[in-house]
Amino acid sequence: MITVEELSFSYTNKPFISNMSFQVRKGEVFGFLGPSGAGKTTLQKILTGLITTYRGSAVLNGVECKTHSKSFYENIGVDFEYSTLYEKLTAYENLQFFGSLYAKNVRNIDDLLESVGLQNDGDKKVSEYSKGMKSRLNFIKALLHDPAILFLDEPTSGLDPTNSRIMKDLILHEKKCGKTVLLTTHNMLDAAELCDRVAFIVDGTIKALDTPHNLIMQKGAASVKYTYYDGTEHTGQCSLTKTAEDQLLMSLLKNNAIRSIHSSEPTLNDIFIEVTGRTLK
Amino acid sequence: MRFIKLLLGDIRFQFKYGFYFMYVVFCVAYIWILLFFPAAWRQKAACMMIYSDPAALGLFFMGAIILLEKSERVLNALAVSPLTIMEYILSKVISLAAISTLVSLVLAIVAGSDNIPVILLSVVITSGIFTLLGLIIAAKINSLNQYLIATVPLEIICFVPPLIYLFYPADILRWHPLNSSMRLINGSTNHTACDMMILILIFLILFLIAHRTTQKMWKTIGGVKL
Repeated sequence: MITVEELSFSYTNKPFISNMSFQVRKGEVFGFLGPSGAGKTTLQKILTGLITTYRGSAVLNGVECKTHSKSFYENIGVDFEYSTLYEKLTAYENLQFFGSLYAKNVRNIDDLLESVGLQNDGDKKVSEYSKGMKSRLNFIKALLHDPAILFLDEPTSGLDPTNSRIMKDLILHEKKCGKTVLLTTHNMLDAAELCDRVAFIVDGTIKALDTPHNLIMQKGAASVKYTYYDGTEHTGQCSLTKTAEDQLLMSLLKNNAIRSIHSSEPTLNDIFIEVTGRTLK
Repeated sequence: MRFIKLLLGDIRFQFKYGFYFMYVVFCVAYIWILLFFPAAWRQKAACMMIYSDPAALGLFFMGAIILLEKSERVLNALAVSPLTIMEYILSKVISLAAISTLVSLVLAIVAGSDNIPVILLSVVITSGIFTLLGLIIAAKINSLNQYLIATVPLEIICFVPPLIYLFYPADILRWHPLNSSMRLINGSTNHTACDMMILILIFLILFLIAHRTTQKMWKTIGGVKL
């Protein structure tokens, strides 16, 4: 679906993206993780055909991004981090307008509004919407023309837990429908939950690329933490691969004296810091 | 079909943002002022009004439109849609020219002008010229203050010579390209086709420049922070 080979780009004489290669398969949710200025935005501008002066190759849906025609956008949906809607128009009018820019038939607006719980707010002006409502409306705007590839930028940013859950379910639903999703996020929990694979991008290069699970399991030594009571509460810890050698743990298990027990892998954030030496800010 | 929908979308946008209401108010005010003038003065007064306002409204409104689209980040969404830059520009030009033409028609009728078809044709092209000038400037600025400052020299160049020319058609002013518009609106031209051609040529040159600046604007704004 997306093939990037030896991609390089520079705004000045200094390389900004260098020698980047990766593939995104159809139906995959692929995450770009990296600190600000790492090159994620530039990479996505290349993939959405806004930057055409790159070297190497970036092929999306069989089309080289630098030589695309305007019909290229019939199959791309972009959900920006911020609202990209006419504030004085209603939600319905906005969706109607943006839908009219596409040659293909657009999805039913009422159904889309209902899918994000805005069915009773379609006639409200966007300026009267809360941030969460705008985010949801922005998201369904990207889905209007039923694109094969979705670019999502921080789709859960600023949403309360309920709306964040709705948004994540919608993304997973689109994946189930066969959409390819490119997700940019700083939220490691979202990335771990939504992405089939993630790429850590720092200084214009990919430092690591794998499934979140593999990244976590390859790099981290998972441990087991347990608590028990012998007058006062105590905590014990051992490596997951050496539980049988922990005599205390064995004895507590035998006597059913464990009060709590958890395996604790490093988080994706820990792995990111370990691999890149940077934090996600 | 997409272009028609885009055009209707632009007209709806202008309606919702009060452009049409504003011009109904202006139109009533202009008619009221025109009716105060003696009949002999009305035609020249109407020429002055038509040239400096409805025909030139694009110069004032494009700044507002582009700044609104920038502040609401709609341009980002348009840049990643199948919409072409040519469609985007033409839609703005035609939608604003529609307001220019309607208001000019009313003023020309009230003033008793006898060359209304030529006036309207001239207003359509002149409106396009000012809209493109507004677009070229607005594409490069980020605040209303910047826009107002940037348009001052342009207003002096585009308005002062034609308005002087309307009352004192001195030879030295004759070659100012926008005096073609003033001559056509005033009905004082001896070379209608030639003046029309000059306006069309200016329009085409500005269209090419506006296309380049809009392309640059879409590339630098569109998707800047994906």
